[in-house]
Amino acid sequence: MKLVDTRKIRQFQAMRDPMSLQASIKESNRCLLCHDAPCSQACPAGTDPAKFIRQIKFLNYKGAARTIRNNNILGTVCSFICPVEKLCEKACSIKALEDPIDIRGLQCFAAEYGNRFKLEPQEKSLKTKAKIAVIGCGPAGMSCAAELAKMDYDVTIFEREAKSGGVGRWNIPDFRLPGSAIDQDFQNLQNLGVEIKFNSAIDAGDSISVLLAEGFEAIFIGCGLSSPFTLKMFEGFTNTYDYNSFLRMVKVNRESLQLQDKSVVVIGGGSVAIDSAVSAKACGAAKVYLVFLESLEELPADQEEIELARTMGILFRPASQVSAVISDGNRITGLTGCEIEWLEPGKFVPSNATQVPGTEFSLKADVVIQAIGTSPGKEVSQLSKGMKTSGKGVIRVGETFETSIPGLFAGGDVVNGGATVVQAVGEGKKAAVAIDHYLTGRKAI
Amino acid sequence: MKTKADLSIDFCGVRFENPFCLSSSPVSNSAEMCARAYDAGWGGIVFKTLGVETSFKVVMPSPRLNAYNLGDKRFAGLQNAEQISDRSVADNIADIAWLKKKHPDKVLISSIMGYTDPDWALLAKMSEDAGADLLELNFSCPQMAYKFSGYRVGQDFHAVEAYTEVVKKASKLPVIAKMTPNITDMVKVAMAAKAGGADAISAINTIRAISDINIDTFIPLPNIHGHSAATGFSGPMVKPVAMRFISDLYNAKELGLPISGIGGIETWVDALHFLLLGATNLQVTTGIMRYGYRIVEDMIEGLTDYMTDRNIISLSEIIGKASQKLVDPSEFNTRYQVVSVIDDTKCIGCGQCYISCHDGANQAIVFDSLERKASVDETRCVGCLLCKHVCPVWDCVTSKEVDTSVVKHAAIF
Ligand SMILES: Cc1cc2nc3c(=O)[nH]c(=O)nc-3n(C[C@H](O)[C@H](O)[C@H](O)COP(=O)(O)OP(=O)(O)OC[C@H]3O[C@@H](n4cnc5c(N)ncnc54)[C@H](O)[C@@H]3O)c2cc1C
Ligand SMILES: Cc1cc2nc3c(=O)[nH]c(=O)nc-3n(C[C@H](O)[C@H](O)[C@H](O)COP(=O)(O)O)c2cc1C
Ligand code: SF4
Repeated sequence: MKLVDTRKIRQFQAMRDPMSLQASIKESNRCLLCHDAPCSQACPAGTDPAKFIRQIKFLNYKGAARTIRNNNILGTVCSFICPVEKLCEKACSIKALEDPIDIRGLQCFAAEYGNRFKLEPQEKSLKTKAKIAVIGCGPAGMSCAAELAKMDYDVTIFEREAKSGGVGRWNIPDFRLPGSAIDQDFQNLQNLGVEIKFNSAIDAGDSISVLLAEGFEAIFIGCGLSSPFTLKMFEGFTNTYDYNSFLRMVKVNRESLQLQDKSVVVIGGGSVAIDSAVSAKACGAAKVYLVFLESLEELPADQEEIELARTMGILFRPASQVSAVISDGNRITGLTGCEIEWLEPGKFVPSNATQVPGTEFSLKADVVIQAIGTSPGKEVSQLSKGMKTSGKGVIRVGETFETSIPGLFAGGDVVNGGATVVQAVGEGKKAAVAIDHYLTGRKAI
Repeated sequence: MKTKADLSIDFCGVRFENPFCLSSSPVSNSAEMCARAYDAGWGGIVFKTLGVETSFKVVMPSPRLNAYNLGDKRFAGLQNAEQISDRSVADNIADIAWLKKKHPDKVLISSIMGYTDPDWALLAKMSEDAGADLLELNFSCPQMAYKFSGYRVGQDFHAVEAYTEVVKKASKLPVIAKMTPNITDMVKVAMAAKAGGADAISAINTIRAISDINIDTFIPLPNIHGHSAATGFSGPMVKPVAMRFISDLYNAKELGLPISGIGGIETWVDALHFLLLGATNLQVTTGIMRYGYRIVEDMIEGLTDYMTDRNIISLSEIIGKASQKLVDPSEFNTRYQVVSVIDDTKCIGCGQCYISCHDGANQAIVFDSLERKASVDETRCVGCLLCKHVCPVWDCVTSKEVDTSVVKHAAIF
């Protein structure tokens, strides 16, 4: 991992500077400009890194910025937080010889360049085609809306919150994703002539019929996941948070958390748990423990994130399970736990864990953060009568991201159960194409 | 709202949608290839040079290429021992006719090389009948196996004038004479072509060169079955030399012919350099051999952005602007002197400037080994700015003017 500035993390400023022009020219000149480039094939959103790297190499910087923006309406956001080591950089051909090309760095340079040198806006939707409603102004909704606007549809986004960006706006810490990156991408979306209605949750039962009655001819649901899981043992205590409410407070009002010199325990081993732990540490916590069932090797978080947590001094408790709460009234004061082993190898679920006698431990806990997964909000399954959802409440769709109700489409976390921004963008784009087919096909009859 | 720039040009009365053309070489070897190049966005094509096989049967030497690598920069230059087209006239002419039919709006230039007057006339006439828009006369291939052809003709003023005249008589098409850089004064050859009736000049063809030698066998590369030859060198490394020739041609008032610029063009910035020196039309080979036809996308987009950002609507506004700034060295204003300025905050303490100045300039850099910082002793600095060019931090070293009437400047005293 490239070095990050921990001082900046503590100030909640972007932990990496955008790649300089000099470094970008050097890096782009390492690129082999492959035929049928594997990096571009590996991008779920079709951002086409092979093309924008080539454009940088041939000194066509604005062109590179255009490629990113036109292919991926969250191109700036992705340049900060895409898990490239699992996607484009993983596919890079030069890995057979040396380190992969720093694709995220180059994307960051180009996106910033386009922003600084005022790339001309894309053409506004002429709105000559059907009215379409999009629920949720997160990555999936923004991407679907952008594609439809480019096809001259009349698109309205309904967003529960007062701002755009979804999880990136409310959960992903500022040192990884500055709000300015989301603002930039949102500006590009607005330039396309998409109408956005903030503070407009669509959550009443059977809302879809209402939207149809208002003249929307197709609807896209991109409302993400808003019901984090919590553990029964923490019910009723005042000093515990689910990751969503904790990270949201870190984003909007971190002083009120008063974590100075506290001992914080984070439960979970994914990226979200690490973001919570690093944020707690950056807020001034004295000790932050990360307690998780997996071993370090089995951890689902990226290597880069684990490295970041290490650099910030997070105390890892691998292969461990919390068994009970030590409390004083309605406040948690500590936790007891035990190391575990898997009964069956490769099945990383609590029911498959067995505690190892003699490994009991206890931790001081002033604050407990639960980062153990999430699911769609309860309202989602009620949006339309007969819309099929799975056990965990995620919406079921076919290959074209159409739900079981014709004309009703869905994509992003609410469909895939929680993945990445770039995955949500890709699904939004695909759904937009399917919506166009649906509407034009229907009209042709 | 800015007006979008227009890249179209008029060259010898022919409209090109953009100035970017394939130059005559393997990149323009067949109709199938050329059609793909047009689709990629190229405005014009100079077809691989046609010869008359009944006069001389071309067989390509093998292997015919060697790349020149500069450290980790591969392909900084390319040496080739290739001949003109080894296909029959009939095949090539059929390809040209097919291309013009398929792409009537794109420009097709037929490159020809005769060995005798009738050869030149025949190729000119056949190209015209097949629909070519212009002719380019190859007076410049440096490695033709047929003795009096290519650059040997291009070094002979009389032959250049005579062959151009033959072609002008045989066909009504505008004629471009392609120059060899293997000569001291290109303007003289261009004037001979003009005297023969040439309508434009293209330059440069490749520079005779030796790119490498196998130090065990002593055989230079490419090793053509135990032998090699000094043959045509092209690509980024020849660009500075090519640019010099373009400015010579442009600044020769007596010549006054439009110029097609060639030599090492890969990016829109390279292209712009040639335009600023006076070329109206541009040709590329080595860049395409290395990266493919796709590089034209970035030339078009990059140049359009450059112009749009500066409100330049037509290329005619900038052609030749840099050549106008070139003077004879005797005319330099030497009262203007500079010294180097090192930005302390950007210096990374490598000491490269120290070494270069110490051994290659005037011992004006002071290196603090404890702090690992370089600084300039202005009383010794001669303002050559060698330090700026070796510094690994691109914006660390700058310069400032010294008042030579007050300060004793090392360069003057
Ligand atoms: C802590 C954390 C860190 C992450 N880190 C990364 C990372 O580094 N890289 C990465 O690629 N991904 C990361 N992710 C995942 C990524 O953020 C999501 O995959 C992505 O945001 C999903 O986009 P979406 O549009 O499907 O949903 P969301 O981003 O959840 O957007 C949904 C939007 O819909 C709105 N909404 C919800 N319900 C309604 C309703 N009823 N009516 C109207 N509006 C509604 C919400 O307010 C929100 O704006 C992270 C996630 C978390 C939680
Ligand atoms: C392999 C090869 C073959 C060439 N063949 C021809 C040719 O047949 N006729 C010609 O006029 N120029 C020929 N050239 C010269 C090019 O057209 C061009 O003038 C030269 O390569 C410089 O441009 P570049 O640096 O863009 O390659 C050839 C060049 C190369 C590399
Ligand atoms: S480049 Fe193509 S034609 Fe040339 S040697 Fe290689 S495979 Fe053969």
